[in-house]
Amino acid sequence: MVLESTMICIDNSEWMRNGDYSPSRFQAQTDAVNLICGAKTQSNPENTVGIMTMAGKGVRVLVTPTSDLGKILGCMHGLEVGGEMNLTAGIQVAQLALKHRQNKKQQQRIIVFAGSPIKYEKKTLEAIGRKLKKNSVALDIIDFGEEEDGKPEKLEALLSAVNNNSSSHIVHVPPGPNALSDVLISTPIFTGDGDGGSGFAAAAAAAAAGGMSGFDFGVDPNLDPELALALRLSMEEERARQEAAAKKAAEDATKQDKSGEQAADAVISEAGGSNSSLPIEKNVDVMDDESALLQQAIAMSVDNPDASQSTGIADANMSDADDQDLAIALQMSVEDSGKDLSAQTEMNKVLGDQSFMSSILASLPGVDPNDPSVKDLIASLQGQPEDKKKEDNQDNKEEKQ
Amino acid sequence: MSIASTIQRSQVDLQDFVDWSGVECLNQNSGHSLINALKQGYRDDDGLHLESDADEQLLIYIPFTQVVKLHSILFVGPEEEGPRTVKLFANKEHMGFSNVNDYLPSDSAILSEENLKGKPIVLKYVKFQNVRSLTIFVEDNQGSAETSKVQKIILYGTTVETTNVKDLKKIEEH
Repeated sequence: MVLESTMICIDNSEWMRNGDYSPSRFQAQTDAVNLICGAKTQSNPENTVGIMTMAGKGVRVLVTPTSDLGKILGCMHGLEVGGEMNLTAGIQVAQLALKHRQNKKQQQRIIVFAGSPIKYEKKTLEAIGRKLKKNSVALDIIDFGEEEDGKPEKLEALLSAVNNNSSSHIVHVPPGPNALSDVLISTPIFTGDGDGGSGFAAAAAAAAAGGMSGFDFGVDPNLDPELALALRLSMEEERARQEAAAKKAAEDATKQDKSGEQAADAVISEAGGSNSSLPIEKNVDVMDDESALLQQAIAMSVDNPDASQSTGIADANMSDADDQDLAIALQMSVEDSGKDLSAQTEMNKVLGDQSFMSSILASLPGVDPNDPSVKDLIASLQGQPEDKKKEDNQDNKEEKQ
Repeated sequence: MSIASTIQRSQVDLQDFVDWSGVECLNQNSGHSLINALKQGYRDDDGLHLESDADEQLLIYIPFTQVVKLHSILFVGPEEEGPRTVKLFANKEHMGFSNVNDYLPSDSAILSEENLKGKPIVLKYVKFQNVRSLTIFVEDNQGSAETSKVQKIILYGTTVETTNVKDLKKIEEH
């Protein structure tokens, strides 16, 4: 809430035509200026802001420091881009404009947008900085636009010459997807050295970001914290519920379905998955890199040479909606078992328990539990060589058909 | 001589009539501010002094709560960094370093070593009959040091409206 009189020096040189800040450097600068004016006038009603250009037709004061926001924003219309920026003259004129401010109690501040290259020597800039410090004028520098060698150093030198008790700041804004104004909102230039302005900054962030981007649920936590909290909690609850449901479905799938069929289906679905729906496999790959079982399963399906055969069977399988759901559930269960080693070992134990397996297999139609190929298949899940698995795979499929 | 000493004796330390809310000093080092040199208690502490920041010049602005007559002024400072050329402006508001040379000073003085030890500088009394505010411009210092240091600044004078005889204190001759 510092009582301040600010002069904003706009760079409207030719370099501002560039579009590396969307929509153009000049437009981004104008938006930033509008935000700053709003922030300053809001933080203290007696604050005054003035605007001047450093390039274009020359160093010109567009509006002398005033607290009338409408007048300030209006003067930005019809500004033309062109010419070269004259930094030294610009700062001196700004200093003069501040000297003749009406309310002498106001602190003096100059905000400079430095978009074009700096053609002055470090020494010249330091001399200007010292003069500003002597007259207790604070300086904020926004370094954006052209990036040339030595520009940041020169501006830093200028800042250190002016800086008195950290009342002056510098911000370097590289070109990128973020708007210039968004980057500036979080800097001390806006927040006014910590106190005041932060409320405005948060509201401005909500407005500038269009309400949606930057906030999870399109609700500004600052504006409506209760609603934001409620939305977040309900989202988390839903997520937890879905996970639990999925896990349960997977568990049911693993338990109720005959293990042999499950094993075959798992292999086939893996094969089918790898051939007909790559995203699932990729998803699996990405999510569970460390899982040894998963790698194995994928390797198995990938190694399957008769792609057509497996695809055909996979299609036959996949066409059945139930099986598809089952396939997905099995996929998830495989992941889950991969994640949780204990679960994995449990499954292995289940599969390894021969008596249990045989009893389940007996209830399977068309599967002879005493068939050596089926037995081999079960054993293969515990890490048998892949060739044998392939054979089993083929045998099993033929058997099934 | 006696008349002169009588005049001297009726002068009051104008510290009580300083409007502290309006006191300003340009180019002061924030750690060593004007209060250290001007205010009772602070100025007597030898550890505290006023120091300049970017260069050796200082611009001190002192408004008063009422109109005063200024008789003399006293500076105490170190030998090397103490002020040398001092210009005084009466009733000039909000001066800056840029326009300090545009105006003729009401009085100016070149301080000697004696002055820095505590000998007050007698001013052109006629120029300071109706003083609402005083601006002191320290142009350079004794040893052309980078910064100027001032230990004490004391203003002697009388008020115009009321001169409370009870307030008159005897001022020691230095």
